[in-house]
Amino acid sequence: MFQNLEMFRTSYAMARHSGTRQAVTAANMANADTPGYRARSVASFAESYAPTSTSQLRATRSGHVSAGALSSPPEIQFSDSEASPNGNSVSLEQEMINSVEIQREHSRSLAIYKHSLDVLRMTIGRK
Amino acid sequence: MADFSDAMNITASGMRAQAARLRHVSENLANVDTPGYRRKTISFSTVMEAGQSTGAVETGRVRLDRSELDQIYDPSHPLADANGNYDGSNVNLLIEIADAREAQRSYEANLKIFDQVRQMSTSLMDLMRR
Repeated sequence: MFQNLEMFRTSYAMARHSGTRQAVTAANMANADTPGYRARSVASFAESYAPTSTSQLRATRSGHVSAGALSSPPEIQFSDSEASPNGNSVSLEQEMINSVEIQREHSRSLAIYKHSLDVLRMTIGRK
Repeated sequence: MADFSDAMNITASGMRAQAARLRHVSENLANVDTPGYRRKTISFSTVMEAGQSTGAVETGRVRLDRSELDQIYDPSHPLADANGNYDGSNVNLLIEIADAREAQRSYEANLKIFDQVRQMSTSLMDLMRR
């Protein structure tokens, strides 16, 4: 774990991902009454970066390029929910649910980060 | 971190837009009995920067509703014409109330997101605390 601090990288990437998602949700919410606005969405962290055994290349050195790496920016898609008569496809309820889910994801990643930090501190003899 | 400040700016722009809308609704409501008053409407649009949408929302120009003014029969009114009618306003109370309620709902939703973003960045800052 502490050779390359994988846990820190993962929880950092997760926190950043939820930040990006929250920004997209905020944009949807702000444009909830803009005519013709199409709601956008970002897949959850688990969905975005799940390792697939076939599609992902094996990286055996740090210089290797890997597809779907944690550092690659998340993809923003247009959600295809039904639009209201003015062409706006934002659903306030859905955005509310998403934002709560994102907040929980963010606090979870921070909890993991903090705990890893505590463990790391303990190993070097501090409290 | 940049995402958080983006999100806060965007929700703030949303709240500003909804507040501007609510302001025009209240103008319309206040002038419901003003003779010859046409109701004001504003449009929302997404802010574009260098061809890309930033996600923020802005209000467009104030437009006047061109629909027919109400004809009110009152021969004793100083503005009455030969038939005893004068032009009222074309404000429909029901539409204004519904508009105000929708603006309030959207404003609250934006406020909620703002609060959540604030909580998220606060918890991030708490990491630095020991």
